[in-house]
Amino acid sequence: MSKTIIQTQALSRNFKDNRAVNALDLDIQTGELFGLVGPDGAGKTTTLRLLAGLLYISEGSATVAGNDLATQSEAIKRQIGYMAQEFSLYAKLSVLENLTFFAELYNVEPKERKERTERLLAFAGLSEFKERRAVHLSGGMQKKLALACTLIHQPPLLLLDEPTTGVDPVSRREFWNILTELHLDGTTIFVSTPYMDEADRCSRVGLMYQGKLVECDTPKNIRTQLEGDLIEVLPEDRVAAHELALTLPGVTEVQTYGEALHLLVEDGKTQFEQIESSFQSENIKVKSIRLAPTRMEEAFISLIRRLEENP
Amino acid sequence: MSLRHIWAITRKEFQHIFRDRSTLFLVLVTPTALLLLMAYALTVDIQNVPIAILDYDRSSLSRAFVQQITAGEDLDLYAQVNTLSDIEELIMHGEIKAALILSPTFSKDLLALNGMPLQVIIDGTEPESGSFAVDHIAWRAEEFINGAVASQIQAMGMQVDSLQPIDLRIRTWFNPSLKPRNDLIPGLISMVLGFPALSVALTLAHEREHGTLEQLMATPIGRADLLIGKMIPYIVVGLVNVIMIPLIAMAWFHIPFNGSFPLFFGLSAIFLFSILSIGIIVGVFMPTQAAALALSFLVIFFPGFFLTGIFFPIAAMPEIMRLESLGLPGTHYAFITRGVFLPGNGLDVLWPYAVMMAGLGFAFTAVAALFFKKKLG
Repeated sequence: MSKTIIQTQALSRNFKDNRAVNALDLDIQTGELFGLVGPDGAGKTTTLRLLAGLLYISEGSATVAGNDLATQSEAIKRQIGYMAQEFSLYAKLSVLENLTFFAELYNVEPKERKERTERLLAFAGLSEFKERRAVHLSGGMQKKLALACTLIHQPPLLLLDEPTTGVDPVSRREFWNILTELHLDGTTIFVSTPYMDEADRCSRVGLMYQGKLVECDTPKNIRTQLEGDLIEVLPEDRVAAHELALTLPGVTEVQTYGEALHLLVEDGKTQFEQIESSFQSENIKVKSIRLAPTRMEEAFISLIRRLEENP
Repeated sequence: MSLRHIWAITRKEFQHIFRDRSTLFLVLVTPTALLLLMAYALTVDIQNVPIAILDYDRSSLSRAFVQQITAGEDLDLYAQVNTLSDIEELIMHGEIKAALILSPTFSKDLLALNGMPLQVIIDGTEPESGSFAVDHIAWRAEEFINGAVASQIQAMGMQVDSLQPIDLRIRTWFNPSLKPRNDLIPGLISMVLGFPALSVALTLAHEREHGTLEQLMATPIGRADLLIGKMIPYIVVGLVNVIMIPLIAMAWFHIPFNGSFPLFFGLSAIFLFSILSIGIIVGVFMPTQAAALALSFLVIFFPGFFLTGIFFPIAAMPEIMRLESLGLPGTHYAFITRGVFLPGNGLDVLWPYAVMMAGLGFAFTAVAALFFKKKLG
């Protein structure tokens, strides 16, 4: 049986004139890899800072790693690894010095420290850079070092705020491979991300919108919430094609995706040919048209769009 | 309280100081450089001030006086003039900084013990040279009265004792043995040691600006441990200045150091602790380095300059400011430095000041730790 590691009840945080987090109810089980997604300004960072004990609570209550967030935040800090969105290590210190510094702050015994640092450096692929100053690392390596620093005391719970923002795709993939390994080892990970492919790798995803958690389910269930199928069209004249697509029967939604259009349709198999011929009869040239699998990305945009239309 | 945490912060801060050239410069070079600069700027030796003399008396006594006035290097006789308008002309053209007018009854009044009827006009646009001229004229006048006038009066068969009133009045104005640097440089030490305090305020604000403070707040470190760990390195680099400054004062300015150096070193450590505790308060409250810099000038350097009695005597301040000056570590440290350098005072005299500094340091550090929350808001 799994047990709850984060539980919040109507957790709220107000800033001067806005409610950044609004009556949030979360229930995260030990061992989950929980992804928090949502548009910029939805309250993701505030949520993570609240859970890390870095912000005062305005209303509501929460328990993190068995401790009350309002009264025992220092006890919580011993049991979590928190990684802020911006790079926040010491630029003038080397990789090894940064790790040692955090090891000491987290009371890691010196004899354990050496073994753990070596292992984390290898794990993060930083062994050969351990003498290099943090400022001279690439963006991806800085993120991996920051992750290593939050892991030095082997916390049962990781709180990561957009850890891969601003990192190249290869480094992003490497970073997520590390997270997956940690997840398989039993660490609970609560991570916010703007990337939908990352959300797809989580065991459960929460969608935040205007301070509220509007959706919380497995990626698969969220994807299937998007009723119907997806047809990807690559037209020569995107504007004209977009206008036409909106008028076609059976098309519930049109999303632009670079040069392509994603048409959400009620039933892809039966409507595909009809839609293809509509483009031809209206003289809109199409470079390619195909039935594509629906992804988190379309589901996310569709959900947000519906929320914006009916707030 | 965790020594391991304090040491982790202290070592990290040392690494930062030695790897960041601007910080290193600010804490190691600036204090000494500024001391040299201020010592020169604030004690310019004024010499050869041009003056004019208008002698209405034209007696042998008045001529002897004029000779005495211009005997040294301090005052230059630019011209002997005949009318007031000549003086006006010369001052207007900046040829002279002061003028001396001897009344027609100069020698008569002197010999009748009616005082010395002397008028000095100074150029108010350059008060430094003007007041210098006044002081030196008064000094020469004193010499003159005690010398030439006294002997003439004695020759007339009168008691010299009766010259006392004139003599006393003049002495209050001038002390010929006073060398301002001897007094000023020990006082200035408390000013320039404000730089380590500024640095500690900046480093805390820097961490806040760069997000490293957020990361620190997410760790289990104690609030006081973090602040103390940050103060220690700056106390240590401040003490390097404490060693360098007396050496420079002695070797360069030939200022006597009559007290005990270990005592001076120990008391300076207490001062650094107390002034840094003010810097820490600044760092705790200010969101950015720019704000921390501005506030540091307001609470460390300006009061250090105006309220600690280095330049402006505390006795001359209104009561409220006198009380404020007692709350500044610099006030007590200025007593200590002057006491250790010149009279060579020991702990028997200086202990109350040391106790005050330590008390202020603990109080300010406690305030900082109390208001420093491990929260972003």
